[in-house]
Amino acid sequence: MARKMIFVDTSKCTGCKACTVACKEWNDLPAEKTHLIESYQTMRDFTPKTWTYVTFIEQYHNKTMDFFMRKAQCFHCGDPACLKACTSNAISKSADGLVVINPDKCIGCGYCAENCPFGVPKVDVVRKKAYKCTGCVDRVENGLTPACVQTCQPGALQYGERETLMAKAKERLNEVRKRYPGAQLYGEHEMGGTTYVYLLLDAPEVYHLPQHPSVPVSLTLWKDVIRPVGSVAVGGAAAAVVVGVLGNWFRGGYRREGGPPDGGEHHSPAGKAGKGGKE
Amino acid sequence: MAAEDRQGKGLAGGKQERVLRFTRGERFSHWVHAISFFLLLITGLGILSLWFRPVLVLFGGVQAARVIHRVVAVIFVVVVAAMFFIGDPRYHWEWLKSAFTLTKSDRQHVGAFSKEFFGGHGEYPPQGKFNGGEKINSLLTIFGSIFITLSGIIMWFRGSFPPGVVRWAYPVHDLSMFVMTAAVIGHMYLGLLHPDSRASIFGMLNGYVPVKFAKSHHAAWYNEVKGTENRFHL
Repeated sequence: MARKMIFVDTSKCTGCKACTVACKEWNDLPAEKTHLIESYQTMRDFTPKTWTYVTFIEQYHNKTMDFFMRKAQCFHCGDPACLKACTSNAISKSADGLVVINPDKCIGCGYCAENCPFGVPKVDVVRKKAYKCTGCVDRVENGLTPACVQTCQPGALQYGERETLMAKAKERLNEVRKRYPGAQLYGEHEMGGTTYVYLLLDAPEVYHLPQHPSVPVSLTLWKDVIRPVGSVAVGGAAAAVVVGVLGNWFRGGYRREGGPPDGGEHHSPAGKAGKGGKE
Repeated sequence: MAAEDRQGKGLAGGKQERVLRFTRGERFSHWVHAISFFLLLITGLGILSLWFRPVLVLFGGVQAARVIHRVVAVIFVVVVAAMFFIGDPRYHWEWLKSAFTLTKSDRQHVGAFSKEFFGGHGEYPPQGKFNGGEKINSLLTIFGSIFITLSGIIMWFRGSFPPGVVRWAYPVHDLSMFVMTAAVIGHMYLGLLHPDSRASIFGMLNGYVPVKFAKSHHAAWYNEVKGTENRFHL
């Protein structure tokens, strides 16, 4: 299956939040009490009951105001840091490009949450499981589009083959740039190419997104260097002990009793016949 | 506890002269550290890796193991740290100081020691209460414990630290674990299996080591303490 893509054209977003509602409906996430954070934004971050929400940024230029609205959810990275950080093989990536947490395997350690450059996965402290947008993998695998895409009225969300949709996204970018010169695509190359690709109207920082998101160096160092080298070092120590026991055995260390055979300076008289370790 | 009680137990039969090497407080700290280390290692490995995950059944499952890991971590840190201040902590500080005082004779011991580890002969000058190899083990344990504690605190209270700090705590925690695990494997071999040095285990059981062992492995220390056993309190 070829890689899919969801094109989030923020220039078309009206901030209606129907995507949030559709997500809740399909994923059985109950409504929760919200309040205004800033502008028309009602969620500060993801919660166990809200996997997608819209961020609102008011940009003022020459006495005009632009709403920069962005639907936030998991980016579904091509090279997901969460998957690399997971201790429990609970995170998988589908051929479409959807990154999914399996709650049955998840132990809620939170390593995914800490290592995601976008801060997407969170741990539900009650259920002790990590959660995030699934990309509606259960819909997609049955030939449907994700619930948020399905419901989006202004057509700000489109789902399709990555190559075709990316080409459309670039065309759209050229149009949008006439009015928003700072507009750019975000997610074409970031994190190995994300499945949710954004057309942003300004630089990522304006949306509080990292300009160059990457798999944390600490994570790569941990999983690709410390882990294998450490395992070899511990294995080496164990091997050295086996060689040491055999070496002492062959050199008669375990047969010496009562005193050092050569009266050597550093030999203990303690060796008792036998394999030792029972003391 | 008199030395006489220990004679003839476990070692080469016959009567052996003993000398007190570790006081009750030192032994207590050692075993609190050792037992909690292994509980932390097993529960930690089970959380960290699917390979070891099945072991956590012994602790009542993953979530119970996570709690146990934290409870034992507190004991690992607090009890051993407290032993530097309560009872008769003099020897704790003496050990700490000696670990950070690496002399030429220690370096010679470490150099010669690799031969002895595998059953050969190594030439080195008379060693103090802690020989060069033991000092290295002590340093690995001291720094390993410090780093695993600091990173563990960050991981436990990860909500209170920025992600950039928490992300580094994981590899630091892991690296400290690997260093201490490799060290403890060698440490247990020398204390339990190595024919020439395993007599040292008694120093950690009842406090006394055979005089012959003391003379051959820690001659400088033995010459210092022989005949002055009254300075020890059991």
